[in-house]
Amino acid sequence: MNPPSPSIIKNRQVENMKNRALSWYKPIDPWLFILPTLLGLIVFRLGPIISALFISFTNWDILKKADFIGVSNYSEMFNNPAFFKVLWNTIGFSFIYVVGVMVFGLMLAVLLNQKLKGIKFFRSAFYTPVITSAVAVGIIWLWILSPKYGILTILLKNIGIKSPYWIGDPKVALFTVSIIQVWKMSGYYMILFLAGLQLIPVSLKEAAIIDGANKVQAFFKITIPLLSPTIFFVLSVSIIDSFRNFELIYSMTRGGPQNSTNTLVYDVYLNAFVYYRMGYASSLAYILLGIVAVITILNFQMKKRWVQYQY
Amino acid sequence: MKKKIQILSIIFTVFLILGTPLFAAGQQDAAGTDKEITIQYWSWDPELKTRNETMIEKFEAANPGIKVELTTVEPKEYWTKIRIMANQKKLPDVFNLSSGYIEEWAQNGLLMDLGPYIQKDLNKDNFYMNLFDAVKDLSGTDKYYAFPYALVTTCLYYNMDMFDAAGVSYPDDGWTWSDFRDAAKKLTLDKNGDGVTDQWGYWFYGRYAHIESWIYSNDGNLINRDTMRFDPDSNAMEAITFLTDLVLKDKVAPSKKEMSAFRQQDVFPNGVAAMFVDGSWNIDNNRSVAGDSMKWGIAELPVGPHGNGSLTYGWPDSLAIPPTSEHPDAAWKFAKFAAGEGLTMDMVMAGKIPSYRPLTESEAFLEKGQQPANKGLLIKQAAKTMRTSFTKSWGEWRGYGAAEALGFNGVIDGIIDGDLTFKEAMDLADTNINKVMSRNY
Repeated sequence: MNPPSPSIIKNRQVENMKNRALSWYKPIDPWLFILPTLLGLIVFRLGPIISALFISFTNWDILKKADFIGVSNYSEMFNNPAFFKVLWNTIGFSFIYVVGVMVFGLMLAVLLNQKLKGIKFFRSAFYTPVITSAVAVGIIWLWILSPKYGILTILLKNIGIKSPYWIGDPKVALFTVSIIQVWKMSGYYMILFLAGLQLIPVSLKEAAIIDGANKVQAFFKITIPLLSPTIFFVLSVSIIDSFRNFELIYSMTRGGPQNSTNTLVYDVYLNAFVYYRMGYASSLAYILLGIVAVITILNFQMKKRWVQYQY
Repeated sequence: MKKKIQILSIIFTVFLILGTPLFAAGQQDAAGTDKEITIQYWSWDPELKTRNETMIEKFEAANPGIKVELTTVEPKEYWTKIRIMANQKKLPDVFNLSSGYIEEWAQNGLLMDLGPYIQKDLNKDNFYMNLFDAVKDLSGTDKYYAFPYALVTTCLYYNMDMFDAAGVSYPDDGWTWSDFRDAAKKLTLDKNGDGVTDQWGYWFYGRYAHIESWIYSNDGNLINRDTMRFDPDSNAMEAITFLTDLVLKDKVAPSKKEMSAFRQQDVFPNGVAAMFVDGSWNIDNNRSVAGDSMKWGIAELPVGPHGNGSLTYGWPDSLAIPPTSEHPDAAWKFAKFAAGEGLTMDMVMAGKIPSYRPLTESEAFLEKGQQPANKGLLIKQAAKTMRTSFTKSWGEWRGYGAAEALGFNGVIDGIIDGDLTFKEAMDLADTNINKVMSRNY
């Protein structure tokens, strides 16, 4: 006897639903279940997002009643050379971060996607920095990079290289901080890549190798294209993630030296919670929101050209 | 289905709207039926929580009918939370207030003038009244908007072991800037001859306590109080030049970037620099970091060529009462107690100077047997005239806390790190700081 075709099974299920098993079902029920989350989102996310837009047109400092000041905050921002420096730092940090976590994350994932003894130990070891507090990471790296006694400084000195002032030199500091963020977060993206890699059937790669491809060719022609949905996901997430760099900057450089590590997120924090210029901070935050939105939309537009969904 | 959603959302909204006042009303009733007065006290020091509770118990025992409810907020969140309370006109009856905010808060009408209470209900022999005057000056008015309970002043810390080893005599009252520089030169050592300095004579960077202390010892000012603009006078410029030259010319102090691995307050107690100037609260930090591993003392700042030693950089921590308080008499009573007889030495961080004289002038304050041996020197400093650089938006233009690498702090760091020339730095400071000042004044 032939098994019933899928369409027949589906029809039967629909019949069942209609007739008896789910007779208590009301269309409103799913709404009830998501209502708590929805309320939370509206009160704690959407509400602040909308009110921040209004605040960005005021000079609110929490203490006084806010005055409506039109686009003054925005015009102050665009007339402030330091703002462009901050913008540039933000982009620089994001670029290094996104490229860094994608390359290192993928590298670690490929290395760990093997059947070796103790592989689980390495997987958790590389993941540890992700769950370590950014403040602790910052302090440890300050020690490692210390100009006189730091391990890295001493190691480099032994092979005849004079270390720059990793976090004291305005030309180097942003690079240093973003690389440390890469070090901290690569493990997270490694897990994502690893999950993607393990979905790729080994048979495809084996077939390619039987057909005469070498390992490098197999990696670039088989693995990478099949991994493209994961790569896309990692790209989108890491871009958004790259703007969240407050803690590390706070614990390592506080935006210095000479504004060289001051990013939009850090500047929003300073203006909101140190200077209490809520209006100006909100307008900065809206610029950040705009940037993230544009990049994400672009990203999704570009996706059609290079992401190949297998299933 | 639509209708049902509508009904449900209406029910939820009504519930949310009604729920809050009902809940609040319930609380009010409970307080209203009680005959006792309850006042709220907000403290910014979680470490003092149990000691504050003990103090409150003593107060309540001595003042039947008044209950004090203590709220302790982490210092990091204190200012944001209390600003929101101010915004909601729900400020606690008594709360901690730091010097930097007195002007802004007083001008926004958030602080009660304590003058009448001070006039009729304060034994002025029991308090350092110059601290009350400092608070008055800080408000930019002739009113007393806060009750100072402890003063932080700055002093010179010196490592006695290093002084002994270098054969330099300890700093004393007569020390001038050049005595200081000569000592710093002798105390800067390359111990192993590798061309890298191992022991620095002095350590400072752009931090307010590190710079303004010297400016005031030379009778200078960063802010012109008539125009309310950043306009360092020649005495201030002399002090800034003297300090930055210690790094750039005399090479007796490290650049900021050289010390990047240290918390700034740990350079001295770790024995990396022989001298250090910062707030007197560092007595506590030096004790906990250095322990018994080194002998150290404190001295007054060397007097600058244009100074006469009568000024000191000091800022009191205060208690404030808002005009919205429903029980101002009880709040005053409690503030007076908390800043006076209720205060014990273990509630004041070592190095802070209580404004309550019986406590400061007691044996307990001197903490005999602990370093520094000459803690009494602080009492002398507490009697001097206080000067500060506080203005509105001080944290922003000065570069404080999370903004420490920016503002004037960042500019000075730029000079000693070699990123900016002296002139570039001061021009930058002038433009940026006066932008902030013109927003406020």
